[in-house]
Amino acid sequence: MTAPAATHSPAAAPAPTAALAGKFLVAGLVGLALTAAGFFLAHDSAGVALSYLVGISYWSAVVIGMLMLVLIHHIFDAGWSVVIRRQFEHGLAAFPWLFVLFLPLLASAWLKPGLIWPWMDLSHELHGGHTVGTDPLYLKKASFLNVKMFTAMTVGFFAVWIWLSARLRKASFTQDADGDKKWTFMSRKTAAFGIPLNALALTFAAIYWMKSLEYHWFSTMYGVWFFSNCIRAALAFGVVITVWLYQRGDYKGIYNTNQFHCLTALAFAFVVFWAYITFSQYFLIWNANVPEETFWYNIRESGDWWWIGMLLLFGHFFVPFLFWLVYRNKATRAPALKISLWIAAIILVDICYNVLPALKDHHGVPQPFFSVNLLWVLTSVVGIGGICGWAYLRSFARTKLIPIRDPRIVESLTYHEATAP
Amino acid sequence: MSSHIEPAGHPLLAEVNPVAIPRQELVHHGRDFHWITEKVCGIVEAKTPVWWWWCFGVAAFVASFTVAGLIYLVGTGVGVWGHANPVNWAWDIVNFVFWIGIGHAGTLISAILCLLRQKWRTSINRASEAMTIFAVVCAGIFPVFHVGRVWMAWYLFPIPNANYIWQNFRSPLEWDVFAVSTYGTVSVLFWYVGLLPDLGTMRDRFTAAGNLLKARLYGFFAMGWRGSNRHWANYEMAYLILAGVATPLVLSVHTIVSFDFAVSLIPGWHTTIFPPYFVAGAIFSGFGMVMTLMLPLRAIYRLEDLITQYHIDCMCKITLATGTMVGYAYAMEFFIAWYGANPYEGFAFINRAFGHYAWAYWIMITCNVITPQFFWSRRVRENTTLVWILSIFVNVGMWFERFVIIVTSLARDFLPSSWGYYSPSIVEIFTFFGTFGVFSVLFLLFIRFVPIMPMSEVKAVIPQADPHGTGH
Repeated sequence: MTAPAATHSPAAAPAPTAALAGKFLVAGLVGLALTAAGFFLAHDSAGVALSYLVGISYWSAVVIGMLMLVLIHHIFDAGWSVVIRRQFEHGLAAFPWLFVLFLPLLASAWLKPGLIWPWMDLSHELHGGHTVGTDPLYLKKASFLNVKMFTAMTVGFFAVWIWLSARLRKASFTQDADGDKKWTFMSRKTAAFGIPLNALALTFAAIYWMKSLEYHWFSTMYGVWFFSNCIRAALAFGVVITVWLYQRGDYKGIYNTNQFHCLTALAFAFVVFWAYITFSQYFLIWNANVPEETFWYNIRESGDWWWIGMLLLFGHFFVPFLFWLVYRNKATRAPALKISLWIAAIILVDICYNVLPALKDHHGVPQPFFSVNLLWVLTSVVGIGGICGWAYLRSFARTKLIPIRDPRIVESLTYHEATAP
Repeated sequence: MSSHIEPAGHPLLAEVNPVAIPRQELVHHGRDFHWITEKVCGIVEAKTPVWWWWCFGVAAFVASFTVAGLIYLVGTGVGVWGHANPVNWAWDIVNFVFWIGIGHAGTLISAILCLLRQKWRTSINRASEAMTIFAVVCAGIFPVFHVGRVWMAWYLFPIPNANYIWQNFRSPLEWDVFAVSTYGTVSVLFWYVGLLPDLGTMRDRFTAAGNLLKARLYGFFAMGWRGSNRHWANYEMAYLILAGVATPLVLSVHTIVSFDFAVSLIPGWHTTIFPPYFVAGAIFSGFGMVMTLMLPLRAIYRLEDLITQYHIDCMCKITLATGTMVGYAYAMEFFIAWYGANPYEGFAFINRAFGHYAWAYWIMITCNVITPQFFWSRRVRENTTLVWILSIFVNVGMWFERFVIIVTSLARDFLPSSWGYYSPSIVEIFTFFGTFGVFSVLFLLFIRFVPIMPMSEVKAVIPQADPHGTGH
């Protein structure tokens, strides 16, 4: 356990993932190709573009959550999570690709303004007859909501995420080889400024990408809502990945019930946090009953969106809450995997709930959830997810399974639950 | 697939070779079980120090201001407070929220840090819980006496009465009644359950010393604690359950306090981020008060081996984190007030920063956003005098936060014709000033008669308590 680090022994090498990475890449390219075909061939290109925004927001949420968890791990000098952290670090490899995949949206902002975000097109006709350019509510915020700012800010968000990820990955991977403690201190410093930077980046990304789709609407809670989904998504994928690695044999002898229980307990805590944030936002808007705010929810209570709202209420909160309450479900792989896959799916529905109703007909009625757009959401999610999975697996194959020189690695490997209060 | 995950051998384990960055000790100088018992019990058993009498006298004198203020209010009417249209809520609710917020750190340290298995909490949790209870007592004074006819305060509870008068269950003020009373009850229970083993220890020590009166007194409150295996098993389960119950309560109380404002339409109050923002602010102010109290206590009783620099570092970092969250909320409120393009909201925030109460706003920003940033520096964290001074700034800043939120929004609401400027009356000032005396009297009594640290919990985090004998 405490012997000097040897060279990468064949016995310790993870099973090859190249073939699987190739499958992910193919799935990703196929998904992206189908989405692109839909965009150019389908009657409603705006629906395809908005569905693609759902896909990119969803996978960004997963990876942003992973970044936040790694940062939080370092700021707390946590012990139990060291054996899991490496998988999140691999997940961060997706950020540059997510930026590349966001470029079509930036291109659309310049080439077809108003296709996705109506405020980008000043001649865009609003419900009631007037245009964005003559809308006093737009004119008030025009210095923030314009294509140049949008582009600069989006590039800035990705720059922050890619830079923070690069620092954390370099520190962790290099420490495996040289065992220098300076990398641990570097990661802690990165975490200290990285957490507020990431908090601001994800907040404004949520405002620009999703909230501004209906730019009349506002809520100070929106950034916190996105944060809660990011963390929940990352934890759900954390469970999926670690169970997969355990089933494959990689984690056997490393990953125990106690570390697993901590991960799922954290997932449980964030179920409650998400519900707290979402309820607070809804309740305060419902109770105040101000039309400037309630219209956002009113739209989502029409057609089948009402049922989607109910699905979120029960599927995003009650089902996982009651499920995670049971210790056995938190400490056992099979049920934890099932509920994590469910949570990962329901977060996608939540993103759809926030994005897709922005697509309205000329009467201001949103297009239904169950429409052809759902197909484009799926192709986008598969396409972008395939690329993210490929990026993860590429990174996974290049490093040790766990950070073998981390100062808390032994603590993590021997982690057991405290019995004293 | 459904089996539990269990460890087994793995070839990679042979390569594991961690770099050496040892964990901080939670008890310095290798102090053993006996030393900890003697140190903590010695504070209660020793002759009452002269400084304690001086402090108690001053605190009681200050507390008399609250008593005088309340007697005058009850004898005269609520009009003796400085409320007047449009500021019909002012220092009473400011002070209520201020004290309730302070109470949050105690439960956070005891319950949430317990669930998160943060071992550093053990040295400070007892005093923090006591602080919670005393802060809730101080907080309760203001709404109870604001009802006017205080002898009718029982009407706050839904007790059937001859007039069929029922509370407005749709009002967050009524929710406050339930939330705060539940929180107070659970906090007392949590504190008391944690005390049981130490009360048993005190009983046994007084018995051995031949002081039968005190032995009987502590024995009565120890409720038959004998330290048997069954007692410990029940105790630990009860403590864990109470921690689980108290955790949502910590969040719910200040969430409901935030609803007092956020459910309204008043500019500056109706904003969706209020619930988590109030909770973060409460934890921030609570830790400010914990440091204000614990640092002098540490110096007076020479507790440096039990409340180490690491404990101070942790408290400073939590203060820094929660202060930064509060700063995020301030920024988000300001930004959305502009982004929302509602002229009243926009005006409310511009008025806060540059209007008649700008002085209060900038005190708030300075104390709550700028002050905690000093805790980035290790040199600052290691200077306990400076940390103590900064903790007082935090307390001041959080009082001003409530003042800014409440008074500035009411003083400049929708109709300029109804605008006003609020100043507190001398009765209000007396009443609030006196609550620091009430709080101090209770806290002084606590440190005089109750072990200020949970001895068994502190002992559990020293290396001698590790059954493996390896420090892990």
